[in-house]
Order: sequence, then C-alpha cells, then structure tokens
Amino acid sequence: MDIKLEKIDNYRWLIPKTGGMRVDGLIFSNAELIKAVKGDQSLIQVANVAHLPGIVGHSLGMPDIHWGYGFPIGGVAAFDLDEGIISPGGVGYDINCGCRLMTTLLRATDIIPVMKDLVSSLFKNIPSGVGSTGTIHLSKGDEEKVAVQGAAWAVKNGLASDIDLEMTEDHGTMEGADPSVLSERAIKRGKDQLGTLGSGNHFLEIEAVDKIYDQEKAKAYNLFEGQVTIFIHSGSRGFGYQICDDFLKEISKSALSGKGSLELPDRQLACAPLKSDHGKRYLAAMACAANYAWANRQILMHWTFETLIKSLSISRKDLGMKLLYDVCHNIAKKEIHTVEGKQVELYVHRKGATRALPPGHKLLPEIYRNVGQPVLIPGDMGTHSYVLAGAQGAMLHSFGSSCHGAGRLLSRTQATKKAKGRSIHRELEDKGIFVQSRSKRTIKEEMPEAYKDVSQVVDVVHGAGLAYKVARLKPLGVIKG
Amino acid sequence: MELDKPDFILLDHTGDLGIIVHGTDPKDLFEEAAKSMTYIMVRGKTDEKAKSVKLSVPGHDMDDLMVRWLGEILYLFEGEKKVITDVEIDVISPFRLDARLKTIYFDPNLLEIINDIKAVTYHQIEVTKKGDRWESRIIFDL
Repeated sequence: MDIKLEKIDNYRWLIPKTGGMRVDGLIFSNAELIKAVKGDQSLIQVANVAHLPGIVGHSLGMPDIHWGYGFPIGGVAAFDLDEGIISPGGVGYDINCGCRLMTTLLRATDIIPVMKDLVSSLFKNIPSGVGSTGTIHLSKGDEEKVAVQGAAWAVKNGLASDIDLEMTEDHGTMEGADPSVLSERAIKRGKDQLGTLGSGNHFLEIEAVDKIYDQEKAKAYNLFEGQVTIFIHSGSRGFGYQICDDFLKEISKSALSGKGSLELPDRQLACAPLKSDHGKRYLAAMACAANYAWANRQILMHWTFETLIKSLSISRKDLGMKLLYDVCHNIAKKEIHTVEGKQVELYVHRKGATRALPPGHKLLPEIYRNVGQPVLIPGDMGTHSYVLAGAQGAMLHSFGSSCHGAGRLLSRTQATKKAKGRSIHRELEDKGIFVQSRSKRTIKEEMPEAYKDVSQVVDVVHGAGLAYKVARLKPLGVIKG
Repeated sequence: MELDKPDFILLDHTGDLGIIVHGTDPKDLFEEAAKSMTYIMVRGKTDEKAKSVKLSVPGHDMDDLMVRWLGEILYLFEGEKKVITDVEIDVISPFRLDARLKTIYFDPNLLEIINDIKAVTYHQIEVTKKGDRWESRIIFDL
C-alpha cells in the first residue's frame, strides 16, 4: 500500500483519504522524525485505522509514532457513540499501561553518593522481570475489588492516601468495571502480580530535575531544579494482557462471521460496535484492567516510599514524597470534545498516547486548574524524561492527546546487534546513571540508541501546541525487569 | 533435555517481534510454530521428566487457528508455568486442532526467559501454501 503524505506545516503531515478510508490521517512530526516514520509501517496503520466505522475527525499519529500491531503505537482515534466501535487492539494488550511521577524534597546532590545502594534496595524491594510475582496474593474476591475500585483499593488497604487519588487520571478508578465478564484465566494471572513492575520497557527511575522551562507551571507542579523525582512506568500486567487476548478472540470471531461483519484491512483491528453486547462487555472488562493498573502503580509508589525512608534513614517529612500525577497511555475513554462547533461525547482510543488537558478543564484537580494537566513523557534510560503541561491545541487538534514517550527507532534485534561487544551498564555508569535489571538482554534491547530522540519528540508536541514543556528530568538510577 | 533451536526466520519489527516458520504440511507447520515460539521465550537445560498434556483448539480459519493455538501454548507458560518440550498434532483442519504436548514445569534456576511475549497478535497473520510447503508469518506483542 502506497501512502501519500502531504506536509501541512512544520509539525503536521496529512494522509489524504483514499479507498476505504473514512477520514484523513494526520501525523504530528518534524522533518527529521518523519524520515523514520516513512521507513516503517506506521503510516499504513494510521490509514488502516481511518477505515473503522464511526471514526471522527482524523486518524492521528503522535510524534513518537512507530509500527505497532493493528493501531500504530502513538495512535489516537475518536469514535461516535452511535455509529462507532471499540477495538481491543486499539487499546493494546497492556491496558492502562501508564506513568506516574513523584516529587520529593530531596536534592540530587544529597543522594548521588549513595545512588548505587539505593538502586540495589529498590531492585530488591520492587518485584520486576518477566511474570514477576509480588508479596500480595489476592483471593478472587479481593482481586474483583481491585478490578472495581482501582487505586481506591490501595487507599483502603493503607497503601495510598486520598490526595494520591486526586492526582491520578480519573481518580484512579474507571467506572463500569464488571468482573463477572472476566475469564478464569484473567483472574488467575492477576492473582499474584499486583505491585510488580514487569519487564521490557517498564521501569522505575530516580531522576533529578535538570532544567525548568516554565517557572510558573513548575511551581504549580512542585518542581524545582536539582530536585529528586521518581518516575514509574508499568501497567496491568498479565491480568490486562489476558483480558485483551480473550476479547480480541471473541470480537474477532464475531467481526468475521457475525451480522454486519466488516472488511478489515488488518485482523488485529477487530472491533465491535460500542452499542453492541460485545462492545459493552469489553468496556466492562477493560475498566477492570485499567483499575488493576492504577492500583498496581499506586502500590509500586508505596514500596518506593518505604524503601527510600529505610535506605536513606530519613523521616517521612524530610522525604516529602508527593504524587505529581499519574496518566495512562493505553486506553479508550468516553470524553466530551468539540466537533464542528458542537460538544459531543466520543470514545477516544489512545494507543501509546497520553491525555493532555488544557488549563481550565473541569476534569483537572483544583491545584492544576490554571496550568493544565501534567503530561509525563519518559525518554530512554540514558537521556531525559520530560514534564509538559496540556494545552488548548490538544483539544483543537488531537482530542486532548499528546505523545507517550520517545518511541522505538530500532527493533530489539537491531538494538541487540548494536550493543554487541559493548557494556551498556558501564556506558551508563560513566554518564552517572546506575542501572539494575533482571536480564542483561533487556538492557541491550532498551539501550538509549534504540529510541528516537525524546527531545525532538517533545519539541514537536510543544511546537504544535499540544502541550508545553515545563521541566526536564535526568536519570540517576534505573531499575528494569 | 535441552530445548533445540527450531528452523524459523526472525522478522525485524520496530516495536515487537515476528517470525516466519515453514512446514511440509499444516500439521508440521503448526508444530514448528509452537516450538519456535517456545524457543523465542525460554532456553536452557533440564532433566525434569516431561508430562503429557492434551489440547483441543477451535478456529475460524487457518490464520485464526494459528493465533489461538499459539495463544494456548503461551497461556500454558504464563498461566500454568509449563514449557513445552515436544508437540505432536493428531488432527488439524481450519476449524480445529487436536494435539498432544510434552511439558515441563518452568524452573527459573535451570531455564532462562529470553523474551516476555505478552500475546500472539492477528497483525499480518498469514498461513499459506507456497509451492510444495506451508508458511506462516506471526507477530508477537512484547
């Protein structure tokens, strides 16, 4: 499939509607990043998503877009509630994979001398790695409570405070969760994985704020130069993967043989009408996984808090750890947006994309109402992560969405080849970054060169007015699965 | 026993991982696909005596059957901690597959997890006859 790409301005490229596409595609990028995008299959995937029934506006690609399966990673698409669909593949297997950033009162200079020990302690106390299990073993009843209550379950069990919920997208609980639609397999896989980091690109990072771009917003976010912050990237673990897999198979069968079956350009785009029984059942199951993920990241934050207090022998007050914000980047949500001058309810799929609400939005916590939603963008483990603030441009052009990370540039095989004969650990230590991981292979696959330049990605987001840069964070210590 | 390397081609996918496998007939192809996925996930040596497991997998067509079949092997590992060491398919049609598997319990001290496969995807899934042999292209979510 040959994809025609028209440059609109320095930050936007259009894929004009052709064939079965119902809307145009729109990619946020720049002259450099778009070269890599042209080299993989993500543009075809943007065009494929544009074929889906009830799609509204554009099929969107964020600046970190890369080849996924079905939807591209970094894809956003909004659907009409009456005519539109819900696609499990458009949410992804790791439902509510997301990021959480905590601020502290510590200064980087205070902890750099003990960084190696601190990383070791975090690595010991925070279960990570493939199929990792933690110290929480849920009964079926308790797992169902997690699936319905989300982060609020952690509050009830002494692992969080009410203020944490306020600093979490949707207060850490998605409505409509119904555990009765879940398979026994999903329940089994979720039983022992709450409070675990996972593997691959999931991580926990100790960082220092090394640059402030906007003092006013940084102050509202409680960020200052030299400050220690902690970044967590994790999701719904095997519980979410199983839910996606179960419903993809169920919906795939119905999409192929059921009444009103669709001609799909990619079977991974299998979807169900939002109004259908399949669609409603998936949304109820997806909400369970979203809630599990919020509880998971909340508990990871609690283990981190306990580890820092103990390892650094400091008081809770001196540590001063606060949740800045928690955002999801693999999700579908019912939201209100303006389309052709009218306020309408839409289902927005964000597959590797972060919500970015502008100042004044009613869903923001009171303390961020005047500055916009914190948008957390992790980079690779060798460069920087960023905090941005949601802007009006996101509501105008991207259904309130922004990018979710740097985006992969090299496949895992390419990265492993590039790392051959090198010690990535040593290279990172030379830059003052201590990394501990369960698998040496992960470090090679996740090496900094495997990712796009995150600074270019956030510059596009900033330049296109989707979100504005507030602060840059430099990694000091990393734990990975 | 040691998990031997099956004959497959690794596909370069930016975000995830894919393979192309071949077989003399559908039965051989599906057996090779199961062994290849296992090899991508786990490697190592163990003396544990393998236990037998029977699987019946329904499908809508050959492509769907491949995704569901490998999905079952993946669940055996992720949900039951069982690693397959041998596989024999007794019956196969586009709508059903019956297989007998040999499995061992996953011991992290003896076996190493190489790739954390989250799922077997439908993305670009293909089971086709090319000339005198069968071929399948499968993409996994990592």
